[in-house]
Amino acid sequence: MTAMTTQAPTPPAKPRPIVNDENRPFWTAAARGELCMQRCLACGHIRFPIQPLCPRCIGRDFEWTALSGRAEILAKVVYHRAFHPAYASDVPYNLVLVQLAEGPRMYSNVVGPGAAEADVGDQVETVFELVADGLLVPRFRKIGAN
Amino acid sequence: MSQDTRSLRGRAAIAGVGVTPQGKLPGSTNLSLQTDAFTLALADAGLDKSDIDGLLSEPGTTDMHWALDYLRLGRALGINPAYTGSFAMGGATAGALVQLAAMAVTSGMATYVACCFGDAAKTGKKRPNLAAGGYLGDESANNSAWGAFGAATWSALSASRHMALYGTTSEQLGEVAVAARYHASLNPAAIMREPITLADHQESRMIVEPFRLLDCCLVSDGGACVIVTTAERARELARPVVTIEGMGQAFTTQDHECPDWWYGPHQKVAVDRAYAMAGLGPRDVQVAELYDNFTISVIMWLEHAGFCKEGEGGPFTENGRIRLGGDLPVNTHGGHLSAGHPQGWWTLAEGVRQLRGESGPRQVPGAETCLVAGRGLVLNTASALLLAKG
Repeated sequence: MTAMTTQAPTPPAKPRPIVNDENRPFWTAAARGELCMQRCLACGHIRFPIQPLCPRCIGRDFEWTALSGRAEILAKVVYHRAFHPAYASDVPYNLVLVQLAEGPRMYSNVVGPGAAEADVGDQVETVFELVADGLLVPRFRKIGAN
Repeated sequence: MSQDTRSLRGRAAIAGVGVTPQGKLPGSTNLSLQTDAFTLALADAGLDKSDIDGLLSEPGTTDMHWALDYLRLGRALGINPAYTGSFAMGGATAGALVQLAAMAVTSGMATYVACCFGDAAKTGKKRPNLAAGGYLGDESANNSAWGAFGAATWSALSASRHMALYGTTSEQLGEVAVAARYHASLNPAAIMREPITLADHQESRMIVEPFRLLDCCLVSDGGACVIVTTAERARELARPVVTIEGMGQAFTTQDHECPDWWYGPHQKVAVDRAYAMAGLGPRDVQVAELYDNFTISVIMWLEHAGFCKEGEGGPFTENGRIRLGGDLPVNTHGGHLSAGHPQGWWTLAEGVRQLRGESGPRQVPGAETCLVAGRGLVLNTASALLLAKG
């Protein structure tokens, strides 16, 4: 091999969430450490992902409501391969599907003590991680782990 | 259920199938693979291009949003169809298009409908690197915030929960991979033909835990085409007749809003609808071609199709039960895991060949009825066909 001075390539940036008028309140709430979702004013259903109509009653009116952040892990996977180059140095990292106490389900990650052992059925609570300037992402940590 | 399709039972048939070579096919395009497959299916059916008056297409995975695919295909083939269109339902599309074709030929809208797929997924143009499911819009693309990338994501989540609830093991997932590879070893057209053992599966590297490399399907270039006509017309053709006894589809359009979405509840509904049309049940099926994008898919299909109870799909795979010679040979060509990845189309073509008795060393003796089932997208779509020897 030819000896060459090489600079470590700059890893590509992780994609930032696409923030639009519809989902801005979710990310604004996250930035102040709150997990907020849309609650239908007609039937009370709390929905996620974010969308204009209530998928239960097709009601159009809603309010953003703060959730407790308590959840149960429904499923957990661990990426050992990065399917996006920006995640190459993050592997292995997990992705969980959680059931929030108020009903909705969402994807997230388990972080903090006990994250590697966290499993389906474990109780978790929201934490907000600063990942970029002004961007806090809701993740979860095991309740009671040290 | 309110749907009643029983009047269509046995009235439509498969006139011809064509599967192109699969693998790395540099220079091929989604369109060239579609037209190659069309030519093969036409020859298989013993038909002339002028006989084809219906054209249905599934855009390749790199063109998935391209609703005009049918127009490009008709233009390339020089066919001005009486009935046409494009559908993108992932791995459920093959079965769904054959059902549309069956409706078209039995209603008189068309006489011979060619259903075509071509995908240069391996060497052709690349998809944008969106988050898993990101093609559905901004909110899905924002799954990137949690690092959700890669097609394995949904099925790995399914496997995680299936394992937690029912005790399904990695070794049982491995049984699916080993059976698929064994079948591929008997299929000269399959991409991966070197037999593997359970130990090979267990030693293969983790990709998206709980999936190891050998739990994941291949990515390949390839095309396939299936021509549908009435059973009456099919009897005048050279090939043995394969009739469509049962058809079913079902969809869970939402994922997080559906509590048991991870389990693909619509897959069971789709198969039940096919059974209801056919007046058949799992005991009537001798061979099953079940969309296997990942090993867990087969385990869940075995449950959805009633070959075993919910949660018992893992143990069902043991002791060679889904291998040739077992109680229920599954994916006798090697499946997406080992043969190739034309998105459920080879699975369908293999079902037809089994019922014609054309599968050579991998032929299931006495195959009279075959279940072909497909699933796709973010665990949203499902189609099921019950095919029978005419």
